[in-house]
Amino acid sequence: MKKLEDKIIKKIYRMEAEKTIGQIISEVFLTILLILSSLFIFSVIVEILNEQASFDLFDFLRDDFEIIRENFFNNSLLFVQELPLPLTYILIGLLLILVWLLYVFAKNFNNIKNKLISLYKFWSASG
Amino acid sequence: MAELSDKNIIEKIKNGEIDQYSYIVKKYTTLIYRYIERKLFKKDEVDDLVQNVFISFYKAIEKFDEKRPIKPYLFQIVQNELKMYYRSKKPTTSLYDDIYLEDGRQQDITDDDYLGHLNQVEKNIFQHISEGYTYEEIGKLFKKPVNTIKSMVRRGRIKIKLACASKK
Repeated sequence: MKKLEDKIIKKIYRMEAEKTIGQIISEVFLTILLILSSLFIFSVIVEILNEQASFDLFDFLRDDFEIIRENFFNNSLLFVQELPLPLTYILIGLLLILVWLLYVFAKNFNNIKNKLISLYKFWSASG
Repeated sequence: MAELSDKNIIEKIKNGEIDQYSYIVKKYTTLIYRYIERKLFKKDEVDDLVQNVFISFYKAIEKFDEKRPIKPYLFQIVQNELKMYYRSKKPTTSLYDDIYLEDGRQQDITDDDYLGHLNQVEKNIFQHISEGYTYEEIGKLFKKPVNTIKSMVRRGRIKIKLACASKK
C-alpha cells in the first residue's frame, strides 16, 4: 500500500510541477510581451507627436504660474486632440491587460509560492 | 504535527500547500483500494483505478467545497471510474467484422436489414464511428456541428432499436 501511495503522490507532484511551471512561464512571457509592445507603441506615439511638434504646446510651462493656470486646460485639450487616437486606444488596451495580468499574478502569488516550496521540498527529499 | 481536519487540509491545498495532499492519500487509499478490489475481477488494474481516483480528486479540489465531507465525494469519483472501466471493457463489434449466422452463413453487418433503416448520411457516420473517428472529426468531415452529429447518431440508434424491436 505504501508503494501505491508513493506512486500517487509522485504523480500528483509531477502533474503539479508541469502545471505550475507552465503557468509561470506563460504569465512571464505574456507580461514581457505586453511590456515590450506597450513600449514600442508608446515610442511610436512619441515619435508622431515629435514630428507634429505637439510637445511645443507645453512650452508655456516654463512661464509664470498665472500663464500656466490660464493655458493649462486649453493646451492639454489641444494636445489630447493631436494624439494618434487608434494607437492611443491600443496602448490603453494593452496597459489595461497588463494591469489585469499583474493583479492576477499578485493575487496568486502566495499560492504559486507555496506550490514552489512544496515542489522544492519534495524533489530535494526524494533525490 | 497536530492532527488536522479534512477541511483544514483542503484549505491548505487550495492555498498551494500541495504536500498536504499526502495526508489525504494516506488516509483514504486503503479504504478506496479495498472497495475497488471487491468490485473488480482483474486485481492488477486496481492500482491504476485507485491512482485515477486520487488524481481526479486532486484536479477537482479547486472547485471542491471544503465544508463538505471528502469520503462521499471520493466514492462518487470511484463510481465514475468504475463505470468508465466497465465501459472500456465492454465487448464491441466493428461494422466490418464478419458475423456468422446460426446456419453457418456469413452475414455482412454493413448490409444488414437494420442498417437499411438508416439514410446514407447516417450510414456514413456510423461507418466513421466504427473506424474510430471522434464526433469532432466526423463533424469536420461532414462540415456539420458536433451537436448535429450527436443528434444524428442518437436518431440512428433509435431507428435501429425500433427496427430490432419490430423484428422480434
